[in-house]
Amino acid sequence: MAHLLTPGPAALAQHMIRMRLALMRNSLRGDNATNLYTYGSLGLILAFGTIAVAVLWPAYLPITLALWLFGWIFGPILIGGGSEALRPEYFSMLPATPGRIATALLAGAFAGPAPAVNLIALLSLPVYGWRFGPAGVLIGLAAALTTLITMVMISRVIVALIGLFVRSRATAATVGIVTGTAIALCSNGWAPVVAVGGTDTAAWSQILVRVLPSGWGVAAVEAPWPLALAILAAGAGVIALLLAAWAGLLARRVVSAARGGVPPRRGTPRPFPATGGARIIAAKELRAWWRDLVRIQLLATAFSFAVVTPLLLLALDAWVMVPFTGLIAIVMAAASSANLYGADGTALWLTLMIPGAERADVRGRQRAWLLVVGPAAVVLSLAGALVSGQTWAWPWILGLLPALLGGGAGIIVLLAVTSLVPGTDPHKRGGNPLSTGADESAETSLAYLVLIAVPATALPTAGAILLHPWAGIATGVLTGALFAWGLGRIAYRRLGNHGIDLLNLMKHGPAPQAAEPAGADLPIQHRIGVTISYTVAWLPLIPQGLVPMVMKIFGIEDRGWFLALHLPPVWQWPTIIFMIAVGLLMYGYAILIPMRLNSPPSAATR
Amino acid sequence: MPTHREPALRTVGLRKAFGDHVAVDDIHLTVPAGSFYGLVGPNGAGKTTTLAMAVGLLRPDAGSAEIFGVDVWRDTVRAKGLIGVLPDGNAMPERLTGREVLTYLGLLRGMRPDVVAERTGELLQVLELDSAERTLVIEYSTGMRKKIGLAVALLHAPRLLVLDEPFEAVDPVSAATIKGILRRFAAGGGSVIISSHVMALVEQLCDQVGVISDGRVVAAGPLADVRGAGTLEDAFVGLVGARAGGAEGLAWLTS
Repeated sequence: MAHLLTPGPAALAQHMIRMRLALMRNSLRGDNATNLYTYGSLGLILAFGTIAVAVLWPAYLPITLALWLFGWIFGPILIGGGSEALRPEYFSMLPATPGRIATALLAGAFAGPAPAVNLIALLSLPVYGWRFGPAGVLIGLAAALTTLITMVMISRVIVALIGLFVRSRATAATVGIVTGTAIALCSNGWAPVVAVGGTDTAAWSQILVRVLPSGWGVAAVEAPWPLALAILAAGAGVIALLLAAWAGLLARRVVSAARGGVPPRRGTPRPFPATGGARIIAAKELRAWWRDLVRIQLLATAFSFAVVTPLLLLALDAWVMVPFTGLIAIVMAAASSANLYGADGTALWLTLMIPGAERADVRGRQRAWLLVVGPAAVVLSLAGALVSGQTWAWPWILGLLPALLGGGAGIIVLLAVTSLVPGTDPHKRGGNPLSTGADESAETSLAYLVLIAVPATALPTAGAILLHPWAGIATGVLTGALFAWGLGRIAYRRLGNHGIDLLNLMKHGPAPQAAEPAGADLPIQHRIGVTISYTVAWLPLIPQGLVPMVMKIFGIEDRGWFLALHLPPVWQWPTIIFMIAVGLLMYGYAILIPMRLNSPPSAATR
Repeated sequence: MPTHREPALRTVGLRKAFGDHVAVDDIHLTVPAGSFYGLVGPNGAGKTTTLAMAVGLLRPDAGSAEIFGVDVWRDTVRAKGLIGVLPDGNAMPERLTGREVLTYLGLLRGMRPDVVAERTGELLQVLELDSAERTLVIEYSTGMRKKIGLAVALLHAPRLLVLDEPFEAVDPVSAATIKGILRRFAAGGGSVIISSHVMALVEQLCDQVGVISDGRVVAAGPLADVRGAGTLEDAFVGLVGARAGGAEGLAWLTS
């Protein structure tokens, strides 16, 4: 007798929650556990900070909640489409309607740390409501729930949209541009805010942050109760709409064949050039850059960040960064190409099985990267310098351009073989074309490492330019060539000696080594420290250190939120230097501690 | 000096552990030159791990492997020139079409462009991949992936073919094509090693068999010796000591 009964909605939701919790329990090992604890504690600090805002500075509560909303919107895009613990594909054969499965999946989505942390943050609403009496508290509580569901739903719908519609170069590039712009806003978004005086309680910005879904709770608490109920009802209606949209998207995703991020093509591809060695690898790589949506998205992110960041400063009429657009693009493009071998997956076996192909492989990848990034960076640099009219910048551009290009081409292949982050083989990736299946926090650490290492290769050139403006060009060309050649050489030698280890790291993961001596892994307090350092070190280094330094050098008056510039002049330089030192120390700690603690066992395997 | 008298593959005491799990434990195998060798064993027996160590794609914890007398780990470059490999489940240059993959790998091996073009065309045609001229490898079906993998292994005309599960997920027509190619390769003096758990197939193709179970060789030698009087399947079930289940339980299935 076939069993035809479908579990009811409540039972289905309950099973999803249990399954999600079981998945979480089973994945709470090693780095995953550290990440959970680290991000969990950071999230809790932010959540209680939000409640503190509701108590101490209630005027800023709507904008604080808007930041949480942005987190839910951009979080999944930044980490490559969002990791889905419960994939809709798992449940495609359940005899239930898409709507019912979507509701149950939604319940499962709440059984995680992020919604819990966000709920604590949203308890700021009843806290804020206390000012308006008991009714305010009640409305605040209800609004906290509806706001939480709305935020999670928006996030889910965005993930579903990306998974379903990023199927072409244009959409992949669009996601990349949005991401790059969002990162640029995070680093330089203060400039337009300062320019329009966003820190006062100007009426329009107050209305804006209340119109956003994150601000409805505040609006409801402040409103007379009939209107408050109407707002809450409207919130519930929006949730119903989002749920319907999500169910529709899920149903479409499950029945649409995943194509692994391949853009559509017309016509027969151009034949390979009849050549060999590094050139043939470069030809293959150029095709991969053009045919892989992940790479297209990452490049779009890098270049849009490079273009938008200097433009934001124009709000303060500061043209300082515009000439350096191309240089920023090089560093960002290097950061997004740092996992070259990891992105290809186990295809490395072919290089390893061809006698002596390692050298050609590394050199070819360098060549292709230079061809992809170089011309665009040169054009952006020249355009930036010409448009901005900053003639003092010419020696810097002409010197740093070859230095950074060469340094980038060297660093990416070196890190690709020394710090590979294994992902899922491209043909086994799931319904989300922009996710490589790699450990996102490890990939992010690698990107940060590139962000520091590539500019470091240009330091000799910067020194030469300070000595004599035009000495930089020769130094830049020389060091660029040296780094590209030398680091590439180290890379292909290491690929020759350790290629098999890399292949098996990608095939089987890092498990065998970690299982041996328990001391090989980082102690938990260091792992938390390293993650926190990577996450916040940019704060003292860039906005509180380097930016005020540049502003002081160029005599820009606006003090913004730069601590140093608010202090008496005597203390300004010491504060700036202190901040830069703190940032560098945190990065140094984050990079060196894992290297030191991990090096003995990996040396022993040679 | 390696000569044709040397075995196509000889492994001595190969061992590999992943963490606490010993996948391959002291494997000694000798594959005579010119033979068609079948490596059989249940799932998880260590076939793939053994072959990966034999061809130089996985570093053994102990032991050594020689291909026509060339040590795989000491003289890697020369050993790799002698073999064509189809590993199980490894990725390919996914963003290339079948023709591009073969062209690219042939040129990377330093073969002459006209030879590469000629062999590529022939391989694609024989393996019936020439109709998918615009399809990237990432979009290939499992069977097509096997076929392009086989083409990659054959392209440089190696002396020894090492194929891990070459017939898995391949349709009967394509399987017949692949069998034909492999028989011709062996008849022309080439040596072939395939791993499989389809006994009928191994009986049909191979003249030498090695049976692996729990990371150890439990029987090896000419097919007739290993299977004895019965079928290879009976001999296999007897050798690996498995109990053919499926007769008890599941009563509710028949109601």
